[in-house]
Amino acid sequence: MMLWRQFAMEWRLYSRDRAAMFWTMAFPVILLLFFGTILGGGDGLKLSVVRVQSQAPGPRDAALDQALADLQLKVQALPKAEAEARWSRGETVALLEPEGEGYRLRLNSYLMAQAGATAGLVNQAWLVAQARLSGAPEPLRIPAQVESPGRKRATNYASFLLPGLLGLNLVSMGLFSVGMVNVSYREKGKFRRLAVTPLPKWIFLLGQVLHRLTVTVIQAGILLLVGRLVFGIQNQGSFLNLLLIMTLGTGCFMAFGFALSGFAETSEGYAALSNLVFLPLMMLSGIYFTLDAAPTWLQHAVAVMPLAPFVRVLRAVFNDGAGLAGHGLGLAIVAAWGFAAFILAVRRFRWA
Amino acid sequence: MTDSALRIRGLRKAFAKVVAVDGVDLEVARGEVFGLLGPNGAGKTTTFEIIEGLTLADAGDIEILGLTWARQGREIRSRIGVQLQSTSLFNKITPREALDLYGSYYPKRRDTQELLELVQLVDKADAYHITLSGGQQQRLALALALVNDPELVFLDEPTTGLDPQARRSLWDVVRRMKGEGRTVVLTTHYMDEAEALCDRLAIMDHGQVIATGTPASLISDLAIPSVVELTFDGDAPDPTAFAAKLGQAVERRTDLWEIPTPDPKALLNHLLEAAESAAVPFLQVHIRRATLEDVFLHRTGRSLRE
Ligand SMILES: Nc1ncnc2c1ncn2[C@@H]1O[C@H](COP(=O)(O)OP(=O)(O)OP(=O)(O)O)[C@@H](O)[C@H]1O
Ligand SMILES: [Mg+2]
Repeated sequence: MMLWRQFAMEWRLYSRDRAAMFWTMAFPVILLLFFGTILGGGDGLKLSVVRVQSQAPGPRDAALDQALADLQLKVQALPKAEAEARWSRGETVALLEPEGEGYRLRLNSYLMAQAGATAGLVNQAWLVAQARLSGAPEPLRIPAQVESPGRKRATNYASFLLPGLLGLNLVSMGLFSVGMVNVSYREKGKFRRLAVTPLPKWIFLLGQVLHRLTVTVIQAGILLLVGRLVFGIQNQGSFLNLLLIMTLGTGCFMAFGFALSGFAETSEGYAALSNLVFLPLMMLSGIYFTLDAAPTWLQHAVAVMPLAPFVRVLRAVFNDGAGLAGHGLGLAIVAAWGFAAFILAVRRFRWA
Repeated sequence: MTDSALRIRGLRKAFAKVVAVDGVDLEVARGEVFGLLGPNGAGKTTTFEIIEGLTLADAGDIEILGLTWARQGREIRSRIGVQLQSTSLFNKITPREALDLYGSYYPKRRDTQELLELVQLVDKADAYHITLSGGQQQRLALALALVNDPELVFLDEPTTGLDPQARRSLWDVVRRMKGEGRTVVLTTHYMDEAEALCDRLAIMDHGQVIATGTPASLISDLAIPSVVELTFDGDAPDPTAFAAKLGQAVERRTDLWEIPTPDPKALLNHLLEAAESAAVPFLQVHIRRATLEDVFLHRTGRSLRE
């Protein structure tokens, strides 16, 4: 009864802060829409090449154009001067120029990921074109297929991103919504007024925790709904597993916030401290991109931080319909962090 | 069950750089209005917060309504009311909600509407806390201190920041509580308030209680029932030479001299002659009874509102 009242009051006060509520709910959705769309929500990236038009187009040019089209590469043919100008503006990923008997390919050093892939396709097309010109048998291609690590089926970037954002929400809720709020309550003496009443402290804290939990559930629901409606992303696993993982994560990251709030005297101090924790977690935990290219020591370090294993398990369940059985280690790492943070929180937490 | 509402022995609390409370003994009877006076930093708030269970003392015994913190913390909290020196609430809570919510923490509670009327916040009952004026917030804090119908109430500077009318109505509230047999312990920087409200007072300085008694006994203990004041146009001059000539202590305040005396009639003739012959450029002469303010000055060497 007391707990319910406390919980209801948290919600009532929270709902009065319209702006904060709106941004809490809308921010992850905006991230999903933004990155999901520009980084290829639908059919993956369309690669393109700019082709300088030959002075006198011959059969060689026609054969290459045909082969490029067969490989679904977008080709934009431009006169030399115009192509050169576009290149200088930095808008061209790969520039294909006729040279002597063959061609030359210039790749944009700023866009190597796309340029590298484009170069591969252009070379393949050139081999095909040469074979066709000489009447030789066409080189065979190794069939490739796009699928997620759990071999579920073709998925897009948005479905990679979505579980990452779910994880990120939990971290920012724990660090900012729980930790920051508690530091400011302590700093402004709001806890002191409560401390002179007979209200058991655990009821106050549990009311707060339950409120944040329902906020994350709603937040996650909205994100899942948008993911489904806009990008057609569906949960491939069981919702029960999803709920279990999310609950574990909420507990872990909320304890994180409580623990961290014990180390700062002022809101300003806490803001610095929490960002110190948040930024590396956000950048290095494979939310937006994977860390395959990072040095090995960094990958190892990140693998034992709480967010990366959490997101990995979440992706396995959500995108690939995995069960929890194969992910004991990841779940154990998250639980261990949560437990350590909880112990620390209990030891460091102060009302005044 | 004792007949003391509050009994404190040997209370001590040191912070990193100061000893805020340095061996305080206090006893407050049930039904009494008790005032704690002292200059800024004397240790009043620290003493209150130790009694209220917010700060841990380094040493000392406290008995509240016959209960101790070690064993009956929950019961103490249920039976006392507390107004902190500054009360911070959630920004977007309304007075009505705050009273309902805080009331719900207690086994026994007073009606919200009645409390709103008591502190004259009916008009503002549904306004967000951040939109209330300082004095209105202060009044809400008072209402919160009364929400559990407490037997013993601690008010830390309850009238600071209140307009004269709100101050008077707080006096009424305190008197009504006394009439209902409750005990009130308060701090104030207003001597008239202490004199008007309190049955007994303690004066604190540097963490120690330096005098206790009823307002009247404190004044009469001073043994200087009257003070003659000479006022000047602008700053008062240095009285040292004049004091020597008069054979009487003369204290300089900003724009006046104060001459405490047990016998103002005898002093006056002598004083005026001396002033005449020394050509002291005073404007007016006043004779007044000694007040608590004089007791305070005498005891602490400092003005209360300094
Ligand atoms: N948390 C604290 N940490 C360090 N010093 C403190 C703390 N709280 C109070 N003090 C110091 O203890 C002394 C007593 O402070 P206290 O607040 O009890 O005074 P007070 O009598 O209530 O003064 P005021 O009339 O200004 O309210 C002061 O010197 C103050 O600086
Ligand atoms: Mg004080």
